Amino acid sequence: MKVDRRSFLAFVIGGAAGTALSPLPWKLTDDSSIWTQMWPWTPVPPDGGVSFADTTCTLCPGGCGITVRKVDSRAVKIEGTKGHPVNDGGICMLGLSGLQLLYGPTRIKSPMKRVGKRGEGKWQRISWSEALGILAGKLGEIRNRHEAHTVAALSGADQGTVPALFKRFMTVYGSPNFICMPAFQETEALAVKTLFGASGRTGFDIENADYILSFGSGLVDGWRSPVRMIRAAGKWHPNGITVVQVEPRFSNTAAKATRWVPVAPGTEADLALGIAAILLSQGKASGSVADMLDQRHIMKKYAPEAVARTTGISVETLMDIADGFSRAQRPLALCGRGKAQNPESLRDTAAVYLLNLLVNNINQDGGMWLFREADDISWGLPQTDAMAVAGLRQPRFDGAGSQPYADAQYLAHHLADAITTTNSPYPLQVLLVAGANPCHTLHNAEAVKSAFSQVPFIVSFSSFWDETAQMADLLLPDHMYLERYADVPVTAGLTGQIIGLCKPVVSPQFNTRHLGQTLISLSRRMGKEISEAFPWDSYETCLRKTLSTQWETLMETGVWKSPKVKRIKGNLKSGNVDFPAALAEGDASAFPLMLIPYDSLSVAAGPVGSPPFMIKAVADTVIKGKDGFVEIHPRTAGELDLKEGSVATLTTPRGEARVRVHLSHGIQPGVIAMVSGLGHMAYDEFLAGKGVNVNALIGPVADPSSGHDVAWGIRARLSNA
Amino acid sequence: MKEERKQNPSMKYAMAIDLDRCTGCGACMVACMAENNVPFKADESNKLDSITWLRIYKLTNGKSYPDLDVCYLPRPCQHCEGHGGHSPCVSVCPATATDYSSETGIVSQIYTRCFGCRYCMAACPYHARYFNWWDPVWPEGMEKYLTPNVSPRMRGVVEKCSFCFHRYQLAKDAAYARGRTVVPEKDYQTACTQACPSGAIVFGDLNNPQHQVHQIVRPDPKNGNKSKNPRAFRLLERLGTNTKIYYLSSREWVRRAGDNYLQHEKTGAVPVPH
Amino acid sequence: MRTSDGDTSNEKPPHVADDKATGPSVENRADAAGSIILFFIFGFAAFMVLGWVVFPSLLYSQKEQPFNFNHALHMEEVDNGCQSCHFFREDGSFSGIPKLAQCTSCHDEMVGQSAEEAEFVASYVWKNREVPWFSYARQPDCVFFSHAAHVLAARMDCVTCHGDIGTSESARPYEYNRITGYSRDIWGKNIAGIKQNTWDRMKMSDCAECHKNSGAGHISSVQTGRDACFVCHK
Repeated sequence: MKVDRRSFLAFVIGGAAGTALSPLPWKLTDDSSIWTQMWPWTPVPPDGGVSFADTTCTLCPGGCGITVRKVDSRAVKIEGTKGHPVNDGGICMLGLSGLQLLYGPTRIKSPMKRVGKRGEGKWQRISWSEALGILAGKLGEIRNRHEAHTVAALSGADQGTVPALFKRFMTVYGSPNFICMPAFQETEALAVKTLFGASGRTGFDIENADYILSFGSGLVDGWRSPVRMIRAAGKWHPNGITVVQVEPRFSNTAAKATRWVPVAPGTEADLALGIAAILLSQGKASGSVADMLDQRHIMKKYAPEAVARTTGISVETLMDIADGFSRAQRPLALCGRGKAQNPESLRDTAAVYLLNLLVNNINQDGGMWLFREADDISWGLPQTDAMAVAGLRQPRFDGAGSQPYADAQYLAHHLADAITTTNSPYPLQVLLVAGANPCHTLHNAEAVKSAFSQVPFIVSFSSFWDETAQMADLLLPDHMYLERYADVPVTAGLTGQIIGLCKPVVSPQFNTRHLGQTLISLSRRMGKEISEAFPWDSYETCLRKTLSTQWETLMETGVWKSPKVKRIKGNLKSGNVDFPAALAEGDASAFPLMLIPYDSLSVAAGPVGSPPFMIKAVADTVIKGKDGFVEIHPRTAGELDLKEGSVATLTTPRGEARVRVHLSHGIQPGVIAMVSGLGHMAYDEFLAGKGVNVNALIGPVADPSSGHDVAWGIRARLSNA
Repeated sequence: MKEERKQNPSMKYAMAIDLDRCTGCGACMVACMAENNVPFKADESNKLDSITWLRIYKLTNGKSYPDLDVCYLPRPCQHCEGHGGHSPCVSVCPATATDYSSETGIVSQIYTRCFGCRYCMAACPYHARYFNWWDPVWPEGMEKYLTPNVSPRMRGVVEKCSFCFHRYQLAKDAAYARGRTVVPEKDYQTACTQACPSGAIVFGDLNNPQHQVHQIVRPDPKNGNKSKNPRAFRLLERLGTNTKIYYLSSREWVRRAGDNYLQHEKTGAVPVPH
Repeated sequence: MRTSDGDTSNEKPPHVADDKATGPSVENRADAAGSIILFFIFGFAAFMVLGWVVFPSLLYSQKEQPFNFNHALHMEEVDNGCQSCHFFREDGSFSGIPKLAQCTSCHDEMVGQSAEEAEFVASYVWKNREVPWFSYARQPDCVFFSHAAHVLAARMDCVTCHGDIGTSESARPYEYNRITGYSRDIWGKNIAGIKQNTWDRMKMSDCAECHKNSGAGHISSVQTGRDACFVCHK
């Protein structure tokens, strides 16, 4: 038998026939088509039992209740808690993106010490014991040299048990330098104290007002408690509420308002006082308040024609607003630009509070409420030893509380200058940073960063690799909010006093530790004098004991609403309501434009950077590739020979940046606007390097009344690049 | 077949979005991304390849400073019924990857079935469909938050809003567990509806007079399901796509923006041509 | 085969003429025809063996379950049949393979004498580790399968899809497809895809067949006139 061509062909044909009659080709076709449909590298999320865990969101001051959906031990989605007094099921972009922060690559995964040069990014993982040992050793050594006051703590918040523990630690350690980042609440407290002679804060019954006059407040752009505000705004149209939005830029709030009143930047207080003058002159103002005021001064200085010139708003419009405001049944005036994250001048705030006084809405439905701050933390003063007493007697490093800024509690924006100048009372040796990212959020951010590089030792408690953590020498990462207990006192303009409870919904993902626990552990290593001020075995015990009366309710419902608030009467302490203005930095001839930052709900501008979902939702007229935009009126752009998308160089007295321009009819000619919260150098590829940090282009401007940094803009120049 | 269909009470899930309430906060957009395992990449500023099942469009009245006005319009898949379920995308799909269900009125997309010809994207008048030009990649660790309810997509397929159909499935399971077969209105709500703080989005069964969406929209079946609510309009309504997203606005210019009107044409008065 | 023979005979005449001019003798031709048939059969047989025997063994790989499990024994001990361990959660979702916590409600320590239980208690209960079971019936990620719809609403029994696993005394090896990663149970044990029982296969066509046979209203798809895609896919 010969194997020739024919027999070979016969074999092949036989083979083909055999194959066709076997399952091989058919099964292979099916399997390979399945293979192409389900690439093995496409993740398959594991299934499991679904459960829900309630907690409180702390990504902004809003205090929303959130419900985390879990599949077995994984958190898969964050939703708003139904029935929660702040947000009743609603939620914002940032709150929804929380899990990207929890599981994302920007977390600091373990305690670390710097091994390379500062800011170089070379770190060595260390144990908690070693990390606490390093810090306790350093602090102990300084204290023993009687230099405890040269240690400063910079905190993102000053309310709740964690900041209280921090303050307590600084006190018994012997440093007067517990410094809180600039916040609008300071302005509020100062205005209440100055106008009404009481310590307390304000709440705004926005849900029941029928005429809202907003002086630049981004009511639906993240103002104070963003979700609460959007909930309220949803009822404006159906209920026929009038909303007048006064601001230079057409924000989302302006789009939602009944009327947009473009105003020259920085002249909001003039407008408010102008309206007050009209109310006074027409006899429409509340008598008891009017009697207290120097009416002639106000009516003369803020006569409609003068105000029209300053603000760029016609007399007719002025009269119209005054008329609407005084005729309304429940009028309400609001202040705090954008999200109201930064302090504002006493002048701006007092002028708006005055309007509320004049229409007699204090402590009324739909009005402005004044009440004393509840103090839920009653630990009593800690015992301080001689070394601590000596340290506490030293002046504060930021100059707050002493002349010329006796009224200010914290002046964080002085830090950079105080570090670099030779005039500071003493050199800063250690800076502890918690819940704050000063190297990005403080004005003149680049100068802050370079000042920080001169601080001998920086400790960051941040959960994330932010700009400030990158400048640190020692990292003691805190749990992030979904992994920890904490009390969250909500002060964001609500009409009630609310404490939310932050509860762990997942176990800690990395080798991190609760800041409260870190402070307690640290105290244990610092000797009896300090340790005795912390009589709790853990942070959880401390929290439970501190909030013992509220604890059961908190654990059950996640939120505690104070049954009674102590109201402050709206009686003016003095007739002086016209305070000096804080002007924008820069010379108008060299810098013909005015740059104002604006807030957007799709960009987080606080200590936490925007997660990928938020950046994804940002419009391509805000970020394109890596470029950030400034908004400019077409006419102004035309004068500068700039077209939509043109690349330009933006210069301010504080810095320079490459930007693109976006032409918009929603901005005053001569004004340019840039979103806050971009231009990060830290974090991940989804955020880093995108856009420009507006805080690096604006320098601090001290309020003549308080010393707070109240910069609301800066003069600028734009040139074709 | 038609008789059989009558025996099953058919639902028609629909949405009413009140643009007078919407503030453009974007919560719906991100809620959708989080609910549906929508991927993201380093640069999302090219909006042509940025996958957003629900996108918020910014409409302007075209006037100059200071008379301009802006309205935000959230745009999920419009779930066109067309005529008898022949929505533009379903009609052109050569792979039976997209389908219209006469039981729920939802246009479905099956990723494993799709081979990426993108006919549906060309056919969709609303740009509601997105193509996966790249494999989705989650940074290390982040894949932990992916939900098992929606399968992650792969490179080369088209995806779009499903009206959170998995929530319907889960609600149905829950109903079965309670010995019922009907899903109550509150048990099936999309992620965007749930997240919306202003209450602008209302979702439910358009065929059910008990449901809020029916009461708001008041559809007129004799007139191509046009809404009897004078504030309501649908996008490109005159194409006859018979969409199930109804928008509400008290502003005439917004309603006009919903279609390509000639100057003399008025909104609401135009009969359905096809 | 037969048709191809017929085809070649039809075309033969011109070839025969060529063969005569140059080709071998009549005997040789008979020989050649014999060898052609022989080689055809060789090829046919070889590839039949390849397709039916070698291919399946190459296509599927086997893994042993972490330890042997006796369903029959457990069924005797529980009161509520399959649902004692494979239960519905309150929200109507199906729990599937039990988690360790469930097992430990009985097995927090040894309750019997078997070696398997000893292994289970020592390696998993004491170490608080989940047992990494392989699921025979796991559908791919694109499938949404509702146990509630089938068991609670349509009152089907487990056996219809899962066969007699409840009476098995040992856990058979888990076989999976090397190309797709699916469990062999989805395509079925029979490589030709032929099934004798409803539980022999779990492909989409099997679901569709049952849906069709069950009657009432599975016609919601505009594309196919059958069940809409979203009924079972996600």
